[in-house]
Amino acid sequence: MVKKLITQDTRMFLTGNEVIAYAANAAEAEFMYGYPITPQNEIMHTWCKLLPKMEAGFLQTEDEISAGFSTIGGILAGKRAFTATAGPGNVIMQDAQSMAEMMRIPFVCAVMQRGGPSTATVIYAQQETRLTCFGGNGEGFRIVYSTAGHQDLYDYMIKAFNTAWKYRFPTFMLADGYQGKMREPVTLYDPASRGIKMVPTVATLGGANGSRPVNHVRNTFNLEEELMEVLDKYQEEFDRISPEIEEYLEYKADDAEILVIAHGIVARSAMTAIDELRAKGIKAGLFRPITLRPLAVKPLRAAVKRAKQVLFTESANGQLAQMVLEKIYGLTTPYSTLYKMGVGVTGDDIVQKVESMVKEPATV
Amino acid sequence: MARTRIVLAGEGGQGVQSVAKILVEAGYEAGKEILYIPNFGVEQRGGVSIAFCQIADEKIGEPRFSKGDIVIMLSDRAIDRCTTYVSENSTVIYDSSVCTKKPVCNAKSIISVEANKIANEQLSARVFNIIVLGVLLSATNVLQLSDIKNAMEKALGKKFDAKPELRELNYKALEMGMGLIEKAGV
Repeated sequence: MVKKLITQDTRMFLTGNEVIAYAANAAEAEFMYGYPITPQNEIMHTWCKLLPKMEAGFLQTEDEISAGFSTIGGILAGKRAFTATAGPGNVIMQDAQSMAEMMRIPFVCAVMQRGGPSTATVIYAQQETRLTCFGGNGEGFRIVYSTAGHQDLYDYMIKAFNTAWKYRFPTFMLADGYQGKMREPVTLYDPASRGIKMVPTVATLGGANGSRPVNHVRNTFNLEEELMEVLDKYQEEFDRISPEIEEYLEYKADDAEILVIAHGIVARSAMTAIDELRAKGIKAGLFRPITLRPLAVKPLRAAVKRAKQVLFTESANGQLAQMVLEKIYGLTTPYSTLYKMGVGVTGDDIVQKVESMVKEPATV
Repeated sequence: MARTRIVLAGEGGQGVQSVAKILVEAGYEAGKEILYIPNFGVEQRGGVSIAFCQIADEKIGEPRFSKGDIVIMLSDRAIDRCTTYVSENSTVIYDSSVCTKKPVCNAKSIISVEANKIANEQLSARVFNIIVLGVLLSATNVLQLSDIKNAMEKALGKKFDAKPELRELNYKALEMGMGLIEKAGV
């Protein structure tokens, strides 16, 4: 058992990457595997700096392919392991992430999005939304939390471990370079003090000399039907547990005529904008999906139905919007978009866009 | 709600992020709400380096903002990149001993300082960014000198203890920076 660093509520002024390392320790993580890529490097740096005090482990692998598979190996052997990556690293880790879906590995990964495609920028984006939810050669049997600041990073990193170990679907904390690099105050705490019980770590594979019974975990199938039988079961299970996992946040959405749909840090800019718009007498509100996989479809549909217009805004070209539009099929509320590929969306951006929608309503 | 939005931009290696870190650390210790985003490319040196800082009395929403209250530009490229953050309510400060041009924008005021020249001629090239920190402290006027000194101690205390004359040099740079703005009458 690792030593916990945070035993009482502690207010700190940290970067998001530092927060994530502390959160992993609070979640009783024992081992991190990783490969450096900006803007997530300081998760590894901080984890390593804290290692002697935590009595935990770290392995820097030769690339993200290896980091992903090493994480799986550690978990199979009974370690509470995790990894973190970003951008092109997230791309080449997809093979391991798919394997975690197929073999039902409680794989935890923090994704700090940067600009894309390819190397692009090391700064910020929301362009790994689709990749993190549906990457790899599979069906997206993944749980994805999208965070909006440092308190979220701490809360949801802890939650990610519990979700992964409880349901055994790979679980991602989708953040971004702003959240990784920015500094803001945060309260760290011992999960037990919030009534959070950590789901215990158990080895997946059998132990040496019969210490644990043999367990055959498959990711190879001979027949098509054999595969579908397993995947149908996974899908049924994913659908069944979804209502327990789905999370969302509404801000002044009850009577909103213009509903902003945004996730992650952009949702925070939307809240600033909504306050400003409300002060001007414009009834704007926010629907922020916290879980992007699975989406909280029922409340989402209800909010969209109530509104007169919808605005999708993202630091990507509509990656969340595509996922949402599929789920709100049949509703006729018109929508408009404010997409800034790989660039931060400010409160002013949203205020101006909503004001233009008041003057000239969306028709799509 | 009182919120001060600061854009501090220069060349990578000028110490822009070091100064921003001291400023926000001082703000945090003074009990302010803070949000600081460093923004830079892949270079170790060169390229434009920008620090987006917010200091507020209440919880901060948007991490990135469109227009700064104080926009500091420390190179020609910083002027090119950061004019977009200037509104008619912004105070723009640029270093005319580094920049070869003057920012052209519709601002509340545009002030030139010669931090680089003063550092080189009167103090040491190494405290250029601390002069800028002094400029920033006076221009924002939301933090106390003692807050900044405490934060400097946290960041540079070990170096100061090894070479006490460095502390004096940095304090002098800080005060000269503050003086530049007081002279400009902001």
